[in-house]
Amino acid sequence: MSQGLVLLLLGGAVLRISAFSTSYLNYVKPGFRPFLIAAGAVVFILGAIILVQEWRKPAKEGPDEEHGEEHAHHDDGHGHDHAHGPRVAWLMTLPVFAIFLIAPPALGSYAAARDDVAPPPPAREVVEGYAPLPDGQAVAMPIGEFVGRAWGDPKRSLTGKRVRLTGFVVKGKKKDTWYVARMQLNCCAADALALKVAVKGAPAPAENTWVEVTGTWIPPKSDKLPNGTVPPEIESVSVVEVPQPTEPYE
Amino acid sequence: MSDRAMLDWSTDADSPVPPSSWGRRSPTAPVLPWAFVALVGALIAGRFLLAPYLTSPALQTWATIFVAICVQALPFLVFGVLLSAAITAFVPASFWTRALPRRPYAAVPVAGAAGAVLPGCECASVPVASGLMARGVTPAAALAFLLASPAINPVVLVSTAVAFPGRPEMVAARFAASLVVAVLAGWLWLRFGRAEWLRVPRRATGRGWGAFQDAMRHDLLHAGGFLVVGGVAAATLNVVVPRSWLTAIAENPWLSVLALALLAVVLSICSEADAFVAASLTAFSPTAKLAFLVVGPMVDLKLIALQAGTFGRSFAVRFVPLTFALAVGVSVVTGWVLL
Repeated sequence: MSQGLVLLLLGGAVLRISAFSTSYLNYVKPGFRPFLIAAGAVVFILGAIILVQEWRKPAKEGPDEEHGEEHAHHDDGHGHDHAHGPRVAWLMTLPVFAIFLIAPPALGSYAAARDDVAPPPPAREVVEGYAPLPDGQAVAMPIGEFVGRAWGDPKRSLTGKRVRLTGFVVKGKKKDTWYVARMQLNCCAADALALKVAVKGAPAPAENTWVEVTGTWIPPKSDKLPNGTVPPEIESVSVVEVPQPTEPYE
Repeated sequence: MSDRAMLDWSTDADSPVPPSSWGRRSPTAPVLPWAFVALVGALIAGRFLLAPYLTSPALQTWATIFVAICVQALPFLVFGVLLSAAITAFVPASFWTRALPRRPYAAVPVAGAAGAVLPGCECASVPVASGLMARGVTPAAALAFLLASPAINPVVLVSTAVAFPGRPEMVAARFAASLVVAVLAGWLWLRFGRAEWLRVPRRATGRGWGAFQDAMRHDLLHAGGFLVVGGVAAATLNVVVPRSWLTAIAENPWLSVLALALLAVVLSICSEADAFVAASLTAFSPTAKLAFLVVGPMVDLKLIALQAGTFGRSFAVRFVPLTFALAVGVSVVTGWVLL
């Protein structure tokens, strides 16, 4: 009985975060949704089937020979009784508790501050080259692209161009330094890397608020520092508070 | 069985079933549903009363990573469990004796190479390997499959190629090193392993939907629980150990290989994504990255928990160090030759 309920809860929790809300985006990439829904549904249905069977069981315990056979192989040297399920299965309620009680948010400044500086993204663009940017109005771009262009573009396409970056605020170790940051996911939040851009020319908003920073790239004073030791810098013209995007990661 | 089940259910529904059935059950059984109702009640109440206080950033970061590991692994686990149950319930045992070479020493490399066809990550391969063993495949061959399949399947190789643009030798090195480790580990287990160390999961000899569902429920409950154990361990280490320790080690060529091998164990990243993480560790030598890519799919915290749960602790205690040593050794040699 209990195993069916555990599965029902787990399947329900997974369905809740994937099928009925977008909070799964806090944990995995957007493309993962169909797999999550399918897995949640399978677990949920299996839990329901187990429940239904257990409910019927006592009424037909005697005459059902199929059932007797089931019991015979249950004592198969595992050292535990299958009717009650393995103890360890109860642990599967732990993620359910975490989802409902803590409602884990997207990784924010705490996680971003732990990584000193993310390494330069070894993106295909470095090999293929970046497209030139238009003049005039500000171009919205992912922070990852900004970092990539600042570090890995021999043509220095960012020079003098106005760009707009969206991310959350991370305070630097030194006073008055702050970063606009975004976590980059490859698969799930366990492998997230922090992408940071130091913002100059504006006072720091409150930690972890989401902001839109418009400004221009400040080329580094010397080329001697290897990529990945110092975050690129942006001279800001405006810093506007914005709501957290549904897709919190890049 | 489902047809009859539906019929029985409907007839039951007409009669005042609950009192009579509860009377026949063991005294502890009726407590559970109520405990469960209380649990769900506590969850709902906690959501409103407790949640506003559980806001420490460290706790939230931990919870995010923990939930992420579980949520990310679940589809692969369910897929593996479905496949394993299908193997148990619908593929006759005689198929495997025909498909694999009769002699165990020849069966090991064949099973390892067969791992290339299962497009999943390491969570899927554990239940499938246990299903193979339950169907009478030589344990050593099933173990070679278990180690090889998460590392050499097409999805993982393609993602490796994407993560290392312009470096096809990385893909070749990963494929070769992983297959060699899997086959060597299988042979060593065949030569030195004892039957009593390994708890071969024995299943119902029955076929069809009943056996399918039985196998699925058994595997899912076991593997799911142990997956959570691994997720807790990985999330804790992920939050507690700062990554800056690593960059300090990157200078030393020998230490760096060992450091990335250990990082692969700790992070427990899905093998379909680990190449991107390896590529981002730019301070490290290609050999160290290769060690990360070879060790990760074969030995990591959630996998250790899954193996211990599926095949028994005395198995994991021997098999995990063996695999880890082999993976590091073979990576160093392969990296030296190919990279």
